[in-house]
Amino acid sequence: MSDEEHHFESKGDAGASKTYPQQAGTIRKNGYIVIKGRPCKVVEVSTSKTGKHGHAKCHFVGIDIFTAKKLEDIVPSSHNCDVPHVNRTDYQLIDISEDGFTGLIFLSRQLIKVSLLTENGNTKDDLRLPTDDSLLTQIKDGFAEGKDLVVSVMSAMGEEQICALKDIGPKN
Amino acid sequence: MQGFTATSTPDLAELQSTMRAIEHACTSIQMHLNPGASEAVILSLGQSSQPYKTCQFILENSLVATARFQAAAAIREAAIREWGCLSADDKRGLISFCLCYVMQHASSPDGFVQAKVSSVAAQLMKRGWLEFAPAEKDALFYQVNQAILGNHGIDVQFAGIKFLESLVSEFSPSTSSAMGLPREFHEQCRRSLEQDNLKTFYRWTQEAALSVTNRIIESDSVVPEVKVCTAALDLMLQILNWDFHSNTSDTKINVNVFSAGVRQDGDSPKRSECHLVQPGSDWRDVLLLNSHVGWLLSLYAALRLKFSCEGYWLDCPIAVSARKLVVQFCSLVGAVFLSDDGKMHEQHLMQLLSGMIEWVDPPDVVSKAIENGKSDSEMLDGCRALLAIANVTTPYAFDRLLKSMRPIGTLTFLSILMSEVIKVLMTSNTEEETWSWEARDVLLDTWTAILTPINTINVNALLPSEGIQAAANLFGFIVECELRLASATAFNDEGDSDHLHASVSAMDERLSCYALIARASIDVTIPLLTRVFSERVARLDQGRDIIDLTETLEELYSLLLIIGHVIADEGEGEIPLVPNTIQTQFVVNDVEADKHPVIFLSSSIIKFAEQCLSPEMRASVFSPRLMESIIWFLARWSRTYLMSSDGIGEKIIDSGHHHEHSSKKALLCFFGEHNQGKLVLDIILRICLTTLASYPGEKDLQGLTCFQLLHSLVEQKHICVHLVTLNSWHELATAFSTEKGLLLLDTAHQRSLAQTLVRSASGIRNSEVSSQYVRNLMGPITSYIVEISSKNNFKSIAQQPDIILSVSCLLERLRGAASASEPRTQKAIYELGFSVMNPILVLLEVYKHESAVVYLLLKFVVDWVDGQITYLEAQETAAVVSFCMRLLQLYSSHNIGKISLSLSSSLLSEAKTDKYRDLRALLQLLSSLCSKDMIDFSSDSIEAQGTNISQVVYFGLHMITPLISMDLLKYPKLCHDYFSLLSHMLEVYPETFAQLNSDAFAHILGTLDFGLHHQDADVVSKCLRALQALASYHYKESGNGNIGLGAHTVALKDSNGNVQEGLLSRFLRSLLKLLLFEDYSLDLISVAADALLPLILCEQSLYQRLGNELIERQANSTLRSRLANALHNLTSANQLSSSLDRINYQRFRKNLNSFLVEVRGFLRTM
Repeated sequence: MSDEEHHFESKGDAGASKTYPQQAGTIRKNGYIVIKGRPCKVVEVSTSKTGKHGHAKCHFVGIDIFTAKKLEDIVPSSHNCDVPHVNRTDYQLIDISEDGFTGLIFLSRQLIKVSLLTENGNTKDDLRLPTDDSLLTQIKDGFAEGKDLVVSVMSAMGEEQICALKDIGPKN
Repeated sequence: MQGFTATSTPDLAELQSTMRAIEHACTSIQMHLNPGASEAVILSLGQSSQPYKTCQFILENSLVATARFQAAAAIREAAIREWGCLSADDKRGLISFCLCYVMQHASSPDGFVQAKVSSVAAQLMKRGWLEFAPAEKDALFYQVNQAILGNHGIDVQFAGIKFLESLVSEFSPSTSSAMGLPREFHEQCRRSLEQDNLKTFYRWTQEAALSVTNRIIESDSVVPEVKVCTAALDLMLQILNWDFHSNTSDTKINVNVFSAGVRQDGDSPKRSECHLVQPGSDWRDVLLLNSHVGWLLSLYAALRLKFSCEGYWLDCPIAVSARKLVVQFCSLVGAVFLSDDGKMHEQHLMQLLSGMIEWVDPPDVVSKAIENGKSDSEMLDGCRALLAIANVTTPYAFDRLLKSMRPIGTLTFLSILMSEVIKVLMTSNTEEETWSWEARDVLLDTWTAILTPINTINVNALLPSEGIQAAANLFGFIVECELRLASATAFNDEGDSDHLHASVSAMDERLSCYALIARASIDVTIPLLTRVFSERVARLDQGRDIIDLTETLEELYSLLLIIGHVIADEGEGEIPLVPNTIQTQFVVNDVEADKHPVIFLSSSIIKFAEQCLSPEMRASVFSPRLMESIIWFLARWSRTYLMSSDGIGEKIIDSGHHHEHSSKKALLCFFGEHNQGKLVLDIILRICLTTLASYPGEKDLQGLTCFQLLHSLVEQKHICVHLVTLNSWHELATAFSTEKGLLLLDTAHQRSLAQTLVRSASGIRNSEVSSQYVRNLMGPITSYIVEISSKNNFKSIAQQPDIILSVSCLLERLRGAASASEPRTQKAIYELGFSVMNPILVLLEVYKHESAVVYLLLKFVVDWVDGQITYLEAQETAAVVSFCMRLLQLYSSHNIGKISLSLSSSLLSEAKTDKYRDLRALLQLLSSLCSKDMIDFSSDSIEAQGTNISQVVYFGLHMITPLISMDLLKYPKLCHDYFSLLSHMLEVYPETFAQLNSDAFAHILGTLDFGLHHQDADVVSKCLRALQALASYHYKESGNGNIGLGAHTVALKDSNGNVQEGLLSRFLRSLLKLLLFEDYSLDLISVAADALLPLILCEQSLYQRLGNELIERQANSTLRSRLANALHNLTSANQLSSSLDRINYQRFRKNLNSFLVEVRGFLRTM
């Protein structure tokens, strides 16, 4: 609560840590955790004891926020875990272009590249829209109709992905 | 649907083709070929008009059993639906066809067809029960009686008994089938059967059973008669299971006469499981005077001898049924016995006991035989019989029963039997449910039944001294076994925690029973427990740091749970009293109070617990699990004993019986406020501080400390007053508001702690001081929130995990404090919320993607508004309302049109759940705002500030309804909240509803329509109430020359040129459709009537038109005239007028009920 608690915050955005230590017992469902080097959202926490008269330990089930893989971990409650710094930024959608190139990872998915306008006026063109056809059509149609679309990009531990879309009404 | 449009006399070819179609459908369903189509074919038979000839043809001629089965089902369906249109001859004809069919085919294979036909006969007979003349019923029953007497052979006799079984189960409310008739019908049938027929049926069954008994006893192998006898026993059991009503009033009159030997109280917790059989005095001749019980016991005794013969064994059906009937007879009570001081009842029970005692006596021999492979069913049934007897006798009478046959009383026997069962249970010790588990539970229930009055009656008056001794022995053995079990399982790893919680609550129940047994001999058991406890503590002291103490720790864990149950009650929300036996059984003088056994035991436990304050002891002895039992014990113990001498305690002491209560007085004084009370309270608080600060990450332990112990201390006013004066309490408060350590607690625990700390302000006598206390406590927390939200770089650091963690913790604490709002501290808590209003909006903006934080923000606001709203003055209300509106607006702007994307389907569904929780919180917020109009403690009217609550709430609804998709309404709680709010709003403020803009209006109507067709009857009835409110508002207003709902009721052309009906017409149409053609719960009819009446009154011309359409669509002329008549009666019978008053609503409910009974059947015919 006091100031010294956040003495490291002055490092600023550029040097911000990718993860922070946090006591396992304080990590709750819906929070984030690093399991096996991957940033995960916690979908289940349960506690048990090591032997009847031992200390408590937490059992986490997490889902990798980028790859959707399920990961599990068991940590003594009083030990620290790494918690990823998950950031979300909103961008305005300025262009959608179809890409003939098919990457190995997204083999089965249609790849759509988007161009985004950042807050300081630059464009960001390196993101893809991995999504199903009906939604894709909806977005493309919305965009074609001239709707104003906002794209939220989630980033953590050096990776980023589009995590939400929002239409904020017709373009003025 | 093609349907089987049977003309009145279908020709043979037609019949055969239908039969083939049905047979084909039945066989293809069994082979899973095109099941949908086949099912439709089968269903259409029952749905067609008058399919009886066809069905009868199939029953008599088809070789496919399932086709015959379906034909029977179709008869049932069609006849129940068309009952009103059938002639009296048709009805009787159908029943007698079914009965004859059953009798004629009694020896055919495929018994399920016969059973179905038999049950169809029973259902049709019930359907016509109230309209048939007695002579008609007699004629039908004559046939049945002949069959049961055995005049037509064994098979027919069996069929007759089975028919009566279906009939009785059809008439018994819990097993009856639905017939689309009001509940009164079923009730009348039940009463009529009970009065006129049930006893006759029983006598017939008795005669049938008697007629075959000799054959069975004489023969060495299984004879066909066994089947008849088993069926007869089952039917007797079923009839005795009947919930006899007509005699309950007369048992009540006789209560005094019977209370000599028979208990009538109902405070045993397990009573519901033990059904009392109370058939009344007129059953005496059938059940008791004709040596019926003797016959039953000798039949079973004869069967026992045959268990070695082929075809008989311990669990063969006839033996099982006979034993069940014996147990059932043990439960017989009431006026069926003569009023002779219970002699006749005692004789009856003695006879039964002499018959069944061999099943369980001698216990060790029987249990050994079971372990060697004998079936356990006699043992279990024996225990059940003992339970049944214990439920209908006093302990003295219970104990006497066995003395005529054995040298010991029944209580001593029960103690020996239970010790044996526990011994077996301990040695087998598996996770599986074995016979000893079940036997133990039944026997524990037996003890509970015997000992429950111990809470109000002196032990010596309740139990004979041998009984007390038996209880003491049993309890000693139980403690020994529990400890042995504890040390044996000390090293087991705990399985998953769900299983653990289930077993804890099961154990709690078991321990409460043990406690009853212990209290029966309290002067022996308390010293025993004290001795065992000090032995274990001494073992810890000696072995500390030398040997592994796990076994002893686990023993202490169990012991603390047992002691807690024995010396204190749970209270279940009330303040528990010192258990009756502890009050009365000890005689002590005031000077030597500390030698009182219970005081001595309590003190030694507290002394032991206090040692956990030392870090070395903590490390070596006080494991988290041991601490859990200590915290649990302290919470339970303090509710009964700590400082409770003032108030209630004193009054009871003063009410006479000084001698009896001297024990209690000593106890309460010793731990009272002027004696050791404060000291002990201080120790308890220091222990709490230790568990919160020195057991990092032990959630279970900290949860117990926060939710049970601290919470219950503050709840009790007399403790709270002292609590706030203690230094230790202020240490806790300071640690909470300024130190970082407690930020590591689970957030739910922090919330509870905040709530508890704020609530303790009620113990401070001066109201200014208590407000200041709250300000000091919560001040640092609000200023942190204000400070951090106003930082320039907050947006960039906000997403750091450490910031999210502290923001979440502090929000949870604010929420805890907000939910502890009381009149005394209301101002301070209002200021607290007021100071964070703007920061909350900032946080909502910054954390819009962090659903967990958003939810916390919303919940804080919900709890804060809920606690404050009724007290706020006009100006404050205006501020709060405008804050809530900004919050809603902001939330809605973030979420409307938002689509979450993720590769993981479970993360997507989590996102949906988050949204659901948010919306539910927002609905709760609106509901709280709404309550301002209902309850308002402020000094001036809120209108002074121009706040109109109804408009505010409608505006809020308008904002959040677009977020509530039909998909989200599938969450039951959200759906429930939404429709509660909606129906409340429409009922209270229909005029504001009329002013909504057309989009909002249309959306709300859309959800109303959705709710009307919801499967949850509660939701439907809420929608119906909303409709009633709208329509009656419009009707009354327009009657007074106002516009009412105005334009919304008029048909409009929308932009595409389609005519949009006015809302009232639209709902009149859909409600009528619902009532006439769809499925719904019958309980809804009266609410629907209340909505339908004003709708009809508003839209009379549309109603006429719809009525005419219905009539014209009916091709059959008799049905058409019936329908026209019914429609006419609906609006004119019972002097229905066109006003909307109570009487008129009532009349209309009646009219609608009879209207639906009259026409729904044939309107739904295809």
